Formats: sequence, C-alpha cells, structure tokens
Amino acid sequence: MSRPGFVLEVDDRTPPLLVHNGEGFLLERFPLGTRVVYPPEALPPVRDVEEAIQNALLNPIDSEPLPELLRAGMRLTIAFDDISLPLPPMKKPDIRQRVIEAVLTMAADAGVDDVELISANALHRRLTPNELRDIVGERVFRSFFPDGKLYNFDAEDAENLTHLGQTKHGEDVEISKRAAESDLLVYVNVNLVAMDGGHKSTSIGLASYKSLKHHHNSHTMIHSRSFMDHKASKMHHSAWRMGAVLTEHVKVFQIETTLNNDIFGGPLEFLQKREWEWSIKDQASMLATKRGLDLAPAKVRHKIFTDVRSNYGLTGIHAGAIEPVHEKTIENVHKQHLVEVQGQSDVAIMGVPFVGPYNVNSVMNPILAACMGLGYYFNSYRGNPIVRKDGAVILYHPVDYEFSQLHHPSYVDFFEEVLSESTDPATIEAKFEKQYAEDPWYIHLYRTSYAYHGVHPFYMWYWISHALDHCGDIVWVGGNRKTVERMGFRSASTLQDALEMVSHSVGRSPSITYLHNPPHLLADVR
Amino acid sequence: MGTNLVKFSRDTARDVRVVARGWRWGRRPQVPRSAEPYVIKKESSVFPTKWARTPAAIAVREVLQKGALNSVLRFEVNPQVSGIDSLRKVNGPAVIVANHSSHLDTPLVLCTLPDDMRRKTAVAAAADYFFDTWWRATASAIVFNTFPIERRGGKLSSTPGDLLDDGWNVVVFPEGTRSPDGWMERFRMGAAYIAVEHGVPVVPVGIKGSFAAMPRGRGWPVPGRPTVAVRYGDPLYPAEGESARDFAPRISAAVSALLDEESTTWWEARRRVATGASPSQSGPDAARWRRVWESTTPIKSSAQKHRAWK
Repeated sequence: MSRPGFVLEVDDRTPPLLVHNGEGFLLERFPLGTRVVYPPEALPPVRDVEEAIQNALLNPIDSEPLPELLRAGMRLTIAFDDISLPLPPMKKPDIRQRVIEAVLTMAADAGVDDVELISANALHRRLTPNELRDIVGERVFRSFFPDGKLYNFDAEDAENLTHLGQTKHGEDVEISKRAAESDLLVYVNVNLVAMDGGHKSTSIGLASYKSLKHHHNSHTMIHSRSFMDHKASKMHHSAWRMGAVLTEHVKVFQIETTLNNDIFGGPLEFLQKREWEWSIKDQASMLATKRGLDLAPAKVRHKIFTDVRSNYGLTGIHAGAIEPVHEKTIENVHKQHLVEVQGQSDVAIMGVPFVGPYNVNSVMNPILAACMGLGYYFNSYRGNPIVRKDGAVILYHPVDYEFSQLHHPSYVDFFEEVLSESTDPATIEAKFEKQYAEDPWYIHLYRTSYAYHGVHPFYMWYWISHALDHCGDIVWVGGNRKTVERMGFRSASTLQDALEMVSHSVGRSPSITYLHNPPHLLADVR
Repeated sequence: MGTNLVKFSRDTARDVRVVARGWRWGRRPQVPRSAEPYVIKKESSVFPTKWARTPAAIAVREVLQKGALNSVLRFEVNPQVSGIDSLRKVNGPAVIVANHSSHLDTPLVLCTLPDDMRRKTAVAAAADYFFDTWWRATASAIVFNTFPIERRGGKLSSTPGDLLDDGWNVVVFPEGTRSPDGWMERFRMGAAYIAVEHGVPVVPVGIKGSFAAMPRGRGWPVPGRPTVAVRYGDPLYPAEGESARDFAPRISAAVSALLDEESTTWWEARRRVATGASPSQSGPDAARWRRVWESTTPIKSSAQKHRAWK
C-alpha cells in the first residue's frame, strides 16, 4: 500500500531537504513553517502487464474490440508518443513497445499488410534510429524501419499533410496525410502527467505548424490555468475542438497508459524517499553521489544523468474512444499525482531537475530550464496556482549558458536575438515568431537533422507566460547571472538572499511552499 | 590540483557535517511533527477492580476501614454527621452524590455511612489520577473500593452501571475534581445519567469544612482537629420520563440546599428552597482569596452550639 502525497510543515525536527538543481542536487534548510508538498508514493503496478494490454484491446471503452476493427486490405497507422515521454526515459521494454507488439500481433492475425508506424513528434526533433528502436523494440524496428514504414512525423512535408477542415472557432486542422487517410489510426500514448493524452495526442502530435499555432500561442497559454487540467486549459479546449473535427474524418483507436511514480531506483532511490526516513544507506548513497558529482567533470556528470532509466510500473491501460478513455486515464493520473494543498502561499520554491521533455539525450539550456520550472512545475496545479497573484517564485538551477547545436539551433538565436529585445511573450510572438517558423535553415535542420523546429523556443516561452503574468518576482538560486538576466529574471547565491530579494513584495516573513518534485505531483490547491 | 583537493575535502567535510547534524548521527532519529503517523489512541486499559469486591477483599477492607481509616479520620478531624435518617428511606442501591473539595471527602462519606450500607458502597475515582500506577490503583481499590471512571469525557465507563445492577451503592463526585477554593463547581451529568439509566435514587450529600481541613495540595489534615460537617439528604428519584439533563440540576440544587442547611437550619433551608431563594453555593463573585476566606470559615462544633432542628 503506497502512501498518499502530503504537505509537511518544516519544524525544528526536519532534516535538510533535498532540492533538485540541474545535474545535481542540494540539501537545503528551509525556514520554519515552510510547507513542503510531497508527491504520493508509487502506486502498486498492474501485476500482469500483457494481460492488462490484452484486456484493454479486447474490451475497449465505447468501441468495438480492436480485432474487429482490423481486416485484410485496410490501411492501418500506429502513432505513438515520442521521446519526450516518459521522463526520465523508461527502462526497456518500453510500455509503447509492449502495446505496439500486441496491436501488430492482432493486425498480423487479421491479415493487415499496409501498416505504418509514426512517431508523433509534431515540431519536436526527429528521433534517431536508436531512439526509435528503444521505444518500439527490436522486433518492430527490424520489421518496419528498413522499409521506411517506421518513421518520424514531418510537419514541414507539405505533400504529406492533409487539411481536414476548420473548427467552429476557425482553427485549421492539418495532420499527417497517412494518418488522415488511414482506415484506422491507433494511437499509443504514455500519459505521464495530466497534460498528456486525450485529443492532445493526435491533434497536436501529428499536426503541422499551421494547426499548432492556434493553441501554441501566448494568448492561449496565459489562459490555460493550468495546462495540467484539461478542463481549465484553453490549449486543451482548442485541441478538443480540433479532435472533434479529426474524429469526423479519421477512425481513431486511442490506447492510453498511465505510469506510477517509481522513478529513481538503485543508488538514486533516496531521491524519491522522504528525507527523515532516509536510512544510513540512503544517507551514504546521497553523500557518495553528491561528492561524486562534485568531483566529476561536467561531461561525466551529464552522462550519469542522461543514462538514468526509470523502472516505472504500469498503473492502468485503457483503449477505445478518445474522450471516455482519457477520463479513465486522468483518474489514474490524479490517483498518482494529486496532493491536496490548503491555500496559496506568498512564495513558491521549485528545484528544476536534470531532464525535461525537450532535452532527453541532450542539454537543458536556459530556456528549457525556465520552461521546466515556470512552465511545467508552476503549472502543476489544479484549481489555483500554488503561489498567490504577484507572489514570488524561487527556482534552483545552474542555468548555464549551454546549448545543443544539434538539437536546439534556433534556441541559441532566440536567446541571443529575441530575448535581448524583449521577454514579453506577446511582443516576441508578434515580432519574431513568423520569421523563425518559416526560416528555411531551421526547417531544413528540423527535417533532415535532429533539430527542434525553429518556432519551438517560442512555444517554450509561451508556456511560461502564465507564470510571468501571475508572479511578481522570479529569482533563481545559484543561476548563472548573465543567462538569468537575459531571460528577465534575477539570480541569488542562496535561498536566504533570494528571500531577501523578494521581501519587498512578499514581506519579511512570507508563507512559503516548496514543491518537492520529481517524482511528479499535481497540487490540488483549494 | 592541490587547491582542488583541499576544496573537495572541505566540501566533503561540510556535507558530512550537514548530514550528521540533520540526521542526528548517534542520537535517536526524529520525525517532523507534521509527518508523524496518525495513531489511533489506544483505549486506556481499565484497571480491573472486580477482585476488590470479592468476600476476601471485603473482609480486608472491613478491617482497614473500620479499624485504621475510621480511627485515623476521627483522630484528625471532627466529623459531624446529620441526616442519617434519610438513608433509611433508601431501599436497594443508590448513587451517592456529594460536593468535592478534599481527599477527605471519600473517607468522610464511607466512615459516616451506616455499616451495612458502607459495606456495599463503591467509589468512582478518576482513572487518570487514582489508577495511573498499579500500586495507587491497588491501594485505593482495597481501602476505598474504588473503580476507575474517565472524567475527561469520552466513553462512559460501564462499571458504575454494572455495580448498581449488582446491588452496590456508588459514590460519585459530579464536579469531576476537587474544588480549588472550597465552593461548589458545576455538576456534570454523569451521576444523573447513571441514575436515570438504571432507575436508582440519588442520595445527595453536603460536605462542609473538608476544604478547610485538608485543601488541595495538602497530604494530611491541618492540625487542631477541625470540624467537618457531613449532611445526608432525602433520596431523589428520577421522575417518570425525566432526562438526565433535567435531573442533574435537581441533584445540584439538593446538594446546595444541604450546604445551606448546614449554615442555617433545616427549616430555613426548606423555606428558601420553596421560595427559590437558596443562596448559591458557588461562592461570591470576588477575588480568589475572598472566596477561600469565606469557604474556610471554621464550623462551630455541635459541642459549642445547640440549635433546634440541627
């Protein structure tokens, strides 16, 4: 029986608490009275994953069983979530592999010949063959990749896009031609957090810039409160409208999976334990890891964290029609992530970890660090933000001036050219977005190399627009002063300094809440 | 390299120190208060006192009460008992209710009851005070025939009811604790509830002077053999359909009237009860010293004072 999440109040008995800090972590003593939100412990996983998959496919919600939808001579497309999920990546076998293998077994039995598998990466970077193989498994990779039947979605391949129409709000729905023209589209999702899944899978994962710009913009994102709650998120409302148009044209069989919070295993297990429960072994592991990381060169440190693979247990799998399936999925996600928090506080503290959705096997550049902290963590709420309006957010991350030229070429220019001009999401959207989105070099790199689309850094900036609008002060502890300043924030050496800096707006003895994640949590702020 | 090594060593020492302090190496680990697991309070185990009502225990108690307790009590204080006749009106078990201002109250009641009634009387004693250690519990059970009762609310002990059903009288001090200044405190509902539930009468008892003789904080009566008055009243029966809530004020009023009677006469007290003019026994609304002063006014012994109806 796993314990639910809870809110700790720091007192004189509380040991120093662990704070993620990029590729490393700190032990921090928080002021007495600080509330610390701990995620629920990992839920017990499904005992027999294969049986659960079979059960979901044979007894879907509001749909015929999958074998009945498969027939010889049909066009079957299987789309799946890309490498941005789950975080950190999953130990093999990936859940997508197990689901896809089950689907393909049924397709083979039904005599389906025309099958294609598409990584639904939208404007994310293409996955390398190795990354594709890690997700779909050796058998699937060997069967489909050499023939070009397993590939990354290309949102800039105009010939292979289909415009399905517009929503009642005038939003274009343009998705992969192959998916649009299939007799059946099976979407295999990994629903790590409440934001994922539902109509967001196909309507966003297989969509082009023309379609995405309707909801990936500063106006929508500022009104997505939060994008972890699809019922209160304008971005999701738009995706749901698009989904309605899409499902009119395409038969979609949605398979959604949910994972538990079993993220850190082995010597890093202490990272998901509550500090006062650390055994001597945990304390020793922490000391050894911390000292080892301090001693290790940056490259080794980076490799240690890049190689982290999580155990994850499957907590549920549902298949069938998109919306009812997603409702079940969200129930499971909430069971794993939701923590009730009473009231907002003046200051929220978050430690930004080493990995976010867009730097798997890559580097967390300053924009991604901001997106992780102020986008994902800030938005990890339901109801009200954890921090009051005009309150302060204090983040931990080194925010090094470090970019991957391979994966994030447009980020470098965005950082240097755009952010030096303005940090206001609406301003940069109006002034620069089109230029970056249509830049032929970025498009070329997106299509042929492993680069995120030229417009992607803008989206990252839009994702923090709600936090920028809501918070009075944003301070980074231990952050590189130059990069932090470029992004329009301030940096402090220590937590005490940061609290001193924000005292002009929140007072000398503010109420403080520290979100102790990862593992993931969703604060249900009442 | 040398500098790096020094820095590394220093940082390592710092980290180890932080962990050693934070996790209290060598000492008992602590859990933050807000993270302590919620534990359902264990039902306090009721000290068994059934043995104290076996024939052997009764025989021992007879010797202790009649021999030692009675002698010591009458050597140290001068009990003046009145209203014994009222007790003759009781048939069968009753709840004996008295005001409570001293540890002398229990021996005073026990030593002034007629022997046949005393032998069949048990005393409700605070579980948290008299039953906190085995030796105190055993001693009070053998000498006074006490049984534990929870005075801080919660579940009503079933023992008083069982005792009444078995034919035992039960002494209850409904104030729950000894008065801090000798005046009557508010009566709780327990005694009335037991009487109503089991359909037994309540014998009111007014005790005056015990506070002056041995107030809170004293372990032995004051020297000078002070006079202590114990006055029994007529038994009160719960009326047909009367609730404990209605019965409790009647009990309280009866005890008040007995205390009033002690300072005046039976007739005057009855007249005042009839006109609703009985003085409050909760004492004057004044500074503590004045309340104590007034409640400790010495009682003149009957040897010095002869009054009709006394």
